[in-house]
Amino acid sequence: MNLRYMTKELYYQKRRTVMSILGLSIGIALLIILNSLSLAYRQAAHVPLKEIGADITVQRSGDVPKDLAGAVFPCSAVTIRKEEVEKIQKLPGVRGIGTGLLLWVFDPNRAWIVLGIEKENSIGPSLLRSSLTEGRFLEDGKPEALVEQAYARQFGVRLNDTISVADKKFPVVGFVDASRAAKIAVANVYLPLKEAEDLAASSKELQSVSPYAPGDVNLLFIKADQEKITGLASEMKGILGNKATVATPDSFLKLLGSLFALSDKFTLAASLIAIIVAVLIAFKTMAGNIAERAREIGVLKAVGWTNRNVVSQLMSESVIQCFMAGILGLLIALVASFGLSFMKVNIPIPWEMSPTPHFLPGGGDQIFKTLRLPVHVPWNLAFFAIVLSVIIGGMTGGLLGRHISKIKPSEVLRHE
Amino acid sequence: MSKLTILSGTDLSKKYGDLEVVKGVSLAVNEGEFVCLVGKSGCGKTTLLSLLSGLEKPTQGRVNLDGREITTSSEDELALFRRDNVGFIFQSFNLIPTLSAWENVALPLFPIKMTSEERRRRATELLEKMELGHRMDHLPSALSGGEKQRVAIARALVNHPKIIFADEPIGNLDSGTGEAIMGILNRLHKEEGVAILMVTHEDELAKTANRLIRMKDGEIMS
Repeated sequence: MNLRYMTKELYYQKRRTVMSILGLSIGIALLIILNSLSLAYRQAAHVPLKEIGADITVQRSGDVPKDLAGAVFPCSAVTIRKEEVEKIQKLPGVRGIGTGLLLWVFDPNRAWIVLGIEKENSIGPSLLRSSLTEGRFLEDGKPEALVEQAYARQFGVRLNDTISVADKKFPVVGFVDASRAAKIAVANVYLPLKEAEDLAASSKELQSVSPYAPGDVNLLFIKADQEKITGLASEMKGILGNKATVATPDSFLKLLGSLFALSDKFTLAASLIAIIVAVLIAFKTMAGNIAERAREIGVLKAVGWTNRNVVSQLMSESVIQCFMAGILGLLIALVASFGLSFMKVNIPIPWEMSPTPHFLPGGGDQIFKTLRLPVHVPWNLAFFAIVLSVIIGGMTGGLLGRHISKIKPSEVLRHE
Repeated sequence: MSKLTILSGTDLSKKYGDLEVVKGVSLAVNEGEFVCLVGKSGCGKTTLLSLLSGLEKPTQGRVNLDGREITTSSEDELALFRRDNVGFIFQSFNLIPTLSAWENVALPLFPIKMTSEERRRRATELLEKMELGHRMDHLPSALSGGEKQRVAIARALVNHPKIIFADEPIGNLDSGTGEAIMGILNRLHKEEGVAILMVTHEDELAKTANRLIRMKDGEIMS
């Protein structure tokens, strides 16, 4: 391979070079964009759970309370027993569990959505600590409450006021902005888990529908090994029965309804098509280029170039062109990804995970988590695309070079 | 002192399908000899040149070039042999359009391991001999027909060949330029002692050669 010859050929045959590079770069850009988009949807599907530090949420649906008075469980989240939680905790792949107790409290003049939360846990609603806008977070052993900021504003609740929830008094020690948090595990009032347990245990209406003992919960937030999430989801359903609602990033992905989100197979098929298109473009353009150079190849062979010399020269030209096409394709994909990253995506939150009673104003509305599609080109995809371009270049140049190097110099040089 | 035979073809035939283009031709060229192969278009002289230079294999017969039987060699063996022993000059110059004059001259040296400086040095030497020292870095598109052919002659000489095969070397040039090119070929043959086998259809050109071979219908007439 002669570097000088190669660079001059690429430089002076600008039309050929540009056409080859442009053609292949479009295929490579397509491949990168498709995969980045698919990855972005996958990452978006993780967001609702990620915001509460979990990979899986678990709840179990049950019967509707007969009488909406005092503290009740939403029918979508009834008792998960302590023993069941322990069983889940022991499943291989479970890295940690956060718990919560979601209650609807119907007082004579007000309805509350109450969430009992752990004070210290990096998994689950105790992450609300970071959403505190005023006051302080809940402290150990104190019967106190945090109120959601918008709710407090609407009903004129102020810091250090005392609110009465199911006949029990709680001083308001802080406000949290739940709009900053996930759409999951959102409530009007946040109590220490122990206080919520007491409310649940002492509610006759709740006990009549879904027997409850302190230590039981009705919301589980689970951190798990990524590759085991799907398997764990079915094991949890096995433990909790067929009424269990197990939410995973995959279940959110399905709700997104995008072609990219629907299946890996679509992305794989689209990627394969992009690769085939890229190979065909490279092959066709370079076949045309090499055919134009038949006479030149004849001269090379006449003056003493062996077939191997010819093949390695053409192959190196092809590899360099495809490498440049890979770089250009990557740049196009980066620009396109930047543009696409402004796209908004609405992730629907299933009604079972919505804490608001459907019979309250706005309770029946579909809740969405809206976020910017996190489109970016991961370095390993970029690296793969460049390596793929070089391989395409090597294969194309090698195959076409082998073919053209078989021509006899006398055949192309005799027709003067 | 009698000169050694550098090239010999024995009973050479070439058929394309049913068409026999060269018919049982035998000829020899001695070291330093200038031989002209003359004949009308289509008489088979270019095909004979291709057979003798190893660009094409005969249907029948043998070619011996510088003491080596080349008809049984593989394509790559022939290419290497041509690179080290043979120079070519074509009617339409066949320069690589993207390479400068000196790079075209150095083209046969590209696959050989040597420094770029050494290649340039050898090409420069030859181009200066061809009075093209000032056109070294010019592309073929910037050269006149005569200059292109002089670059092609320099390329044919870059490996110090023992024999040059020239196929209608002035066929594309005007008469004045053609004379100049013929002058260079004559000088090469006389001063450098390079054997030349030149194909032409012009009797006038053949007069400068040591020997003239006439071809007609694929056979040697005289």
